[in-house]
Amino acid sequence: MKTKAKKGLVLAYILAGVLFLSGALGTLLLLMPHKMNIVQVLRDDQILYTVYINAEDERFIRIDYGDSYNLLEIKDGKIRVSEAGCPDNTCVKMSWLSSSAPIVCLPNHLVIKFASDYDGIDAVVG
Amino acid sequence: MNKKIRRMTELALLTAIALIIFVVELQIPNLSPVAGVKLGLANIITVYAVYRCKWSEAALMLLARVLLGSFFSSNPSALLYSLSGGTFCLLGMLPLKKIIPINRLWLCSVFGAVLHNLGQLTAASLIMKTAAVWFYLPPLVLSGCIAGALTGLAAQLVIKRTEKIK
Repeated sequence: MKTKAKKGLVLAYILAGVLFLSGALGTLLLLMPHKMNIVQVLRDDQILYTVYINAEDERFIRIDYGDSYNLLEIKDGKIRVSEAGCPDNTCVKMSWLSSSAPIVCLPNHLVIKFASDYDGIDAVVG
Repeated sequence: MNKKIRRMTELALLTAIALIIFVVELQIPNLSPVAGVKLGLANIITVYAVYRCKWSEAALMLLARVLLGSFFSSNPSALLYSLSGGTFCLLGMLPLKKIIPINRLWLCSVFGAVLHNLGQLTAASLIMKTAAVWFYLPPLVLSGCIAGALTGLAAQLVIKRTEKIK
């Protein structure tokens, strides 16, 4: 094999290794348990609800989207999707929000995540 | 004429195999809570096609499989995600073919799988108009590396066994 192609192959190996390691590291960081006080519920980048989850008692929020829906449950300072009308129910399987990884319902365009400092919260509803 | 018909039949057969693998894989429940992590077994055929067929043939097979797959699955809106993922994957693997030899095909498949997930994330972030989906990048890159390596190995074995048929 010509040297240029061989160099390319070595680079490819290195890049693959870097991808693998950064993927592993990133995943560990992402899934580390981590809670904050404020949860945002968004659809298509619009904030539907901002919730101070430690200040809430048990509460359900039903969000409709066309034919489908998501039923959010807030309890003991935690939030999850307890029921949903979407076909795969991945959002329900994700259970309680406990890390930086947001709960996403792709078919219903719904995102539930802890609010971070960059989110510039200036208005709170609910 | 004979050659053309034979070629078309071979490609149709490959497409059908990829389609069946795709449909069967849909029935396997998601292992992880992370959205979009899947085995991507149908890519075995795509990677095989990148190395054993012309790029135009590989592209057409992918397009046919993605279109038919969206009809057969109960989720036609997933079509955009599949198309986007498949395009990224193919556009990455075809040039990589020049520096990754056929006996290291699994490495090409790793990049293909990671690009596939990147494509789906891009589609998701555009459709949902949020950047929040990019939180899923690390687990998708990781699962892409692993799944890509495994499907690539499978494709390598297939190529080894079918070398004599060509």
